[in-house]
Amino acid sequence: MTITSGPAVGIGYREIIGDWTRANLDRFDVLEITVDHCIYGGEAQRAAIFDLAGRLPLTAHGIGLSIGTDVPLDLAYLDRVAEIVERLAAPAYSEHLAFTRVPGRDLANLLPLPKTEAVAEAIIAKVRTVKSRVPVPFLLENITYAFDWPDSNLSDAEFLNLICRESGAGLLLDIENLHLNATNHGFDPYAFLDALPAGLVQEVHLAGGVTLQDEVLGRPFLSDSHSHPTPDAALDLLGHMLTRQQPAAIILERDDRLDAVDEILDDIGRIRARIAAARSGQVHDRPIVAAAG
Amino acid sequence: MTDRLLQRQASLLAYLTSAAAIFGEHAGASVPRPLRGIEPHLLHLEAQFSYDKRMAKIAGAFPRTFAMLGDDLDALLREFVDACPPVDISRIVNARQFHDFLVARWRRSPPEPAYLPEVAACELACGSVHTAHDGAPAQGAPLDPGAPAGSIRRHSGVVLLRCAYDVRPIFEDGGEDAEPVARDTPLVVAVPVGHSGPRVAELPPVVFDLLASLDEWTDPSAFADTAEAEELLLDLIDHGLVEVRA
Repeated sequence: MTITSGPAVGIGYREIIGDWTRANLDRFDVLEITVDHCIYGGEAQRAAIFDLAGRLPLTAHGIGLSIGTDVPLDLAYLDRVAEIVERLAAPAYSEHLAFTRVPGRDLANLLPLPKTEAVAEAIIAKVRTVKSRVPVPFLLENITYAFDWPDSNLSDAEFLNLICRESGAGLLLDIENLHLNATNHGFDPYAFLDALPAGLVQEVHLAGGVTLQDEVLGRPFLSDSHSHPTPDAALDLLGHMLTRQQPAAIILERDDRLDAVDEILDDIGRIRARIAAARSGQVHDRPIVAAAG
Repeated sequence: MTDRLLQRQASLLAYLTSAAAIFGEHAGASVPRPLRGIEPHLLHLEAQFSYDKRMAKIAGAFPRTFAMLGDDLDALLREFVDACPPVDISRIVNARQFHDFLVARWRRSPPEPAYLPEVAACELACGSVHTAHDGAPAQGAPLDPGAPAGSIRRHSGVVLLRCAYDVRPIFEDGGEDAEPVARDTPLVVAVPVGHSGPRVAELPPVVFDLLASLDEWTDPSAFADTAEAEELLLDLIDHGLVEVRA
């Protein structure tokens, strides 16, 4: 399959390299704004972000919803998100399919949900609430996880597909998370991609992490540190995904070693090369994957 | 979702924020019943990832304090983890939790060196001032709708500290090994006009007391009753230590 139109390519905006980002706007087609930085950040940070509106397209991404916590959604938070999304003129709002907190305790880290139909039903209802408060398409993002709940009886793809199909949410596909989960938990990432209905993936995240040598596990464990260049294996998955999906935006995430801006620009170039290859039909056959489950 | 799921989520977070999970003491100890069936070592990895993120925020706020805690740091952090589970994602809230923990601990066991509380207080003040300078939504000091234009108050981004040691040299470039002198030192932590980051400076006692009295919007005529006082007030306004209600 040949891709006929390419997605916008950009980075997640980070204040610490804000000056560099503004000086290099012509390198990007789009920037992803973390809405929580607009809600909880300072006036200077907010002003710097809102100043970008109109200079290039912005997408809106959240980290503070905790949609999976088994309590009602924070509607006031969603209303603030709606204001930010409108001000950014963002075409969509994305959040993680995860939970980060319970009343009285906030891990500030994304945790997986049991992948069951009952949990999916509850998430579907919450997505409908989100859509009723935030007037742009809502996208859910797959997370990386160290462990799974023992009662999970749906695969990652089945769980996402069920929720997105029934709620009308799109998918923000984090390909690095897919690569990490497939490696750490031994499943075939290409089978995951092939199980997604065409058109479901609206946006994409890419990043690079580190490999931990864990003596107890007796095997390497990949960590989603957003600190290093995107691995070739994730870019291979991107190429394969682009034969079936037409995302509007591909965002490179970087949260550590942000001074290595050359690596960021190099990754952007590598992503653009993979898109060009997909558009010309030059996507390699899927690698042979040692899938364990 | 069911009540049972919330209970399981709460149980998971309680476990992941415990010293047992973070420091890998799960071997031989059973995980809580709602988490049975999850590989304990994977929970340990998750706990460690989350702990590392939280401690990066706290260590970033207290670089000098961490260095001075030295060999005590590891034991202290284990104690902190169980005493103060994370309640918020923000750096400043986690920093305040750690500072409150230190202060409570130092009441029971005097710190070494003795000026460590002053250093920690200054570092927390720098973090608070930085947050306030960046204009984060105000915590406390709500706008008094009754205050008339022209009222003055201490700038909301200014922190006053009365220290028993002059710890300023520690906050100067290359001053990590400085030995503070024991003396009553009225300090102000603020972002000076034209600067991007907080600075620690000593104030004359009379100025310190004046700023300390300006918690609320106040009629300036109560202070600027002489030419000298008026000049001082204008100077404080110019330096960004006092703000005037528009």
